[in-house]
Amino acid sequence: MNEGNWDTSTLRERAAERAIERAVFGGELGRRAFLTAVGATTAAAALASVFPMAAAKAIAQDRPGPPEKRDLKIGFIPITCATPIIMAEPMGFYRKQGLNVQVLKASSWAMIRDISINGETDATHMLSPMPLAITLGVGSQSVPYVMPAVENINGQAITLATKHKGVKTAADMKGFKFGVPFDYSMHNFLLRYFLAEGGVDPDRDVQIRAVPPPEMVANLRANNLDGYLAPDPFNQRAVFEEVGFIFLLSKDIWPGHPCCAFAARRELMDKMPNTFQATLNAILDATQYAHDQAHRKEIAAAIAPKNFLNQPVEVVEQVLTGVFPDGLGNTRTVPDRIDFDPFPYHSMAIWILTQMKRWGYLKADVSYRKVAEEVFLATGTARSMRALGQKPPEASSVKHAFAVGKTRVFDPDKPDDYLKSFTIRRT
Amino acid sequence: MAFLEIDHVTKHFPSHDGPGEVCVFREVAFSIAQGEFVTMVGHSGCGKSTLLNIIAGLERASGGGVVLEGREITQPGIDRMVVFQNFSLMPWMTVFENVRLAVRAAYPSWDRRRIAAHVQRYVEMVGLAGAERKRPAALSGGMRQRVGLARAFSTAPKVLLLDEPFAQIDALTRGLIQDELIRMWTAGRNTVFMVTHDVDEAILLSDRIALMTRGPEARLAEIVDVDIPRPRLRAALIEDPDYLRLRAHILRFLVEGTRAAAGDGHGAPATAPLAATPR
Amino acid sequence: MTRDRVRVLCLSVAIGLVFVLAWQAFAGSRPPGKGLPGPLAVGATAWQMLAHPFYDHGPNDKGIGLQLGASLGRLALGYLAASAAAVMLGVALGLSPLLYRAINPYIQVLKPVSPLAWMPLFLYTIKDSGQSAILVIFMSSLWPTLANTAFGVASIKRDYLNVASILQLSWPRRLVTVILPAAAPAIVAGLRISVGSAWVAIVAAEMLIGGTGIGYFVWNEWNNLALTSVIFAILAIGLIGVLLDAGLARLSRRLAYTE
Repeated sequence: MNEGNWDTSTLRERAAERAIERAVFGGELGRRAFLTAVGATTAAAALASVFPMAAAKAIAQDRPGPPEKRDLKIGFIPITCATPIIMAEPMGFYRKQGLNVQVLKASSWAMIRDISINGETDATHMLSPMPLAITLGVGSQSVPYVMPAVENINGQAITLATKHKGVKTAADMKGFKFGVPFDYSMHNFLLRYFLAEGGVDPDRDVQIRAVPPPEMVANLRANNLDGYLAPDPFNQRAVFEEVGFIFLLSKDIWPGHPCCAFAARRELMDKMPNTFQATLNAILDATQYAHDQAHRKEIAAAIAPKNFLNQPVEVVEQVLTGVFPDGLGNTRTVPDRIDFDPFPYHSMAIWILTQMKRWGYLKADVSYRKVAEEVFLATGTARSMRALGQKPPEASSVKHAFAVGKTRVFDPDKPDDYLKSFTIRRT
Repeated sequence: MAFLEIDHVTKHFPSHDGPGEVCVFREVAFSIAQGEFVTMVGHSGCGKSTLLNIIAGLERASGGGVVLEGREITQPGIDRMVVFQNFSLMPWMTVFENVRLAVRAAYPSWDRRRIAAHVQRYVEMVGLAGAERKRPAALSGGMRQRVGLARAFSTAPKVLLLDEPFAQIDALTRGLIQDELIRMWTAGRNTVFMVTHDVDEAILLSDRIALMTRGPEARLAEIVDVDIPRPRLRAALIEDPDYLRLRAHILRFLVEGTRAAAGDGHGAPATAPLAATPR
Repeated sequence: MTRDRVRVLCLSVAIGLVFVLAWQAFAGSRPPGKGLPGPLAVGATAWQMLAHPFYDHGPNDKGIGLQLGASLGRLALGYLAASAAAVMLGVALGLSPLLYRAINPYIQVLKPVSPLAWMPLFLYTIKDSGQSAILVIFMSSLWPTLANTAFGVASIKRDYLNVASILQLSWPRRLVTVILPAAAPAIVAGLRISVGSAWVAIVAAEMLIGGTGIGYFVWNEWNNLALTSVIFAILAIGLIGVLLDAGLARLSRRLAYTE
């Protein structure tokens, strides 16, 4: 194997292959052992059956080839979580990659799921747990999805109706009716985590309902809900409409938690790797631009109009800049109220999977790590980020520190112990 | 072989109260020659309209059958046009369109101009020129039946079946339309079978009159010839002894039938059939 | 205009004025921007929207004219297909008492199902949100027309059918010259009811599906709590409903007959 004679392109391909093999088999030693045991050809075939080698190799190149398809439709729900996806259209990030993208507003997460599965959209805004759930066939047909980028971190809040101003802890919320955007959402899992840590059983002591985010403020006003854990701008909008107040920012439950995601059917990545890469690059670019506080006002103005968020621009500004009235008479300044960091840590996926298991959404036994790595494309995205001149984190899996609760630190290497450490759970 | 043969026709209906069947009439048998005008007279309930429907093919006989030109009748057909008591014109069609519906069905190979001319002829023949575009709702009963006649005659049917055609028309108009009918029949030389309860009308119009006994289990009692020469003028008829005798005979038949029904319930006539009177 | 008509018109206008004034009084008493907007605010929005009814700023923001057009397009497709199917099936059921009694139980079971409840099923099998919306319209326009057609055909006087038999009319001719004209008043009555329920359904379906359409417009404006636009859209929806019904009323008058 005289590598000195190969060109840069082949070298890169080989590097990618090796990296993937290492990732799957846990290190260089494991990789060599596997190859010795089964031979290189068998190893390649086995890997190819679970990992899109062709796409990975394409990703390994610095620049993708010309996109196979230039006219794309990307679905979104009009919430600030989708900022990178939305802003990339008016601010030209898609165009820069040679793509002609139309962002389509959907009315509910179920619609987002359906029009993505049936191909009406090529890629889509999704809640982080959704690509995992759909790949596993939980709550929908089983269709393999990939999630190369997290749209936003933080950016949610628990909002309560103004009449509940006196509520101070989770225990005060027994008997409440809560709204969350969707069952398979960080909102649902974070709310349940928060309530459980406060000794409240989310299935027995309160009611949690799926309500589309745009309907949440109206429901709060109509007394259909006592509160909700929802994406912005609907927390800030409730304050703006004087029907609610912000009880707790989601970043104060799990700082840096993933929220929404940019996802696509695995088919897109396999069959049109160049398009996939170009779209991903646009998203990564936009995400980085949004991360910079200096740009937030400009972005708010770009995404507030009717065909995107359709919200008053002040509300969107308050969310993005983190300078906002909280409905209790205070003005707060929380610059990372919402933040944008695309890296899809495997450990995030594993946390989500443990919570799905905890609450009985996921009944089968799965290998957390295997599914996480299939869906959350940490490796590929790290590669893409580097190619764009961005700096990805060193590890694809880290321990996560929570701000609330007994079990403050989540160790992705010990998911079963974590699961067992909870007193309130369904399994 | 007779032109139109009513061959021992029997008709049953399922009984209204209780199980089993009711026999309306039994073994009615007579024939009609081509070009003849035969009328059937009888009490209500003797099934004369039912018999007409069987000849028309709108109902089926329970026993026996009807044979036209050697072929048995099982279906309605345009060769046996019907003129209904309640006119049965299509209310959404004009006079013209109603007649044209029949003409088109009778002469499918004709072009539009020829059909229109034919329709117009018959509309004028019944004296409705100028009313072509009117709908039946805008016409009186008499006018509607004229349309019915125009419709029927315009198809030159082999057999013309008239089911109490003038029962719903006032007495004054009736006379005019009866004349209309005779005029058209004389011109068309169709075979006619008419059902009526008006004895004068029967004698005025027919060649022969069939008398049915009372139902249920009605039977054909006799058929009398009407030898009064045509054309028959109403004014003259009133004085005619043959007319008076015939009229008396039939009325007696009907009255006896009522009395007999009140008595033994079978309705067999007490009078002897009227023999042909030598002139 | 006859005296009677003038009276009716005056009363109608008077009721309308009273309502608008009451509305303005009720809405005007609240601080602006909060609570129900008054007729003047709605009027201002209406003016704005009607000034540029056909603008197109991308798939999520189009003028009111385009939105209504999209909805009417879907309505036309679903409604016409349903009406054709309903009339054909209705004629068959009306002519055959046996068939009618055999199929009727199924009709009774399917009829009360809200057309929107069919939506998830359609989305799942057809996998196209646009076509699913049209099918929802189809399901909601079917039943009234079907029921009325079957009834109308079954009630045709025996005499007319007898004449058709005697004239030995072929079935297509019988259908066109006798059966359909005879049952036409009942059929059109069914069509009128159907168009109403179809128009109601399309708005609701579009709220679920999104895309372009007046239902989607209402939902989008609601997201922004822009109640003036929502009220304006409601008035537009009502007006279109009136026009649709009036059109069919005209048809009904042309096809009516006296026996």
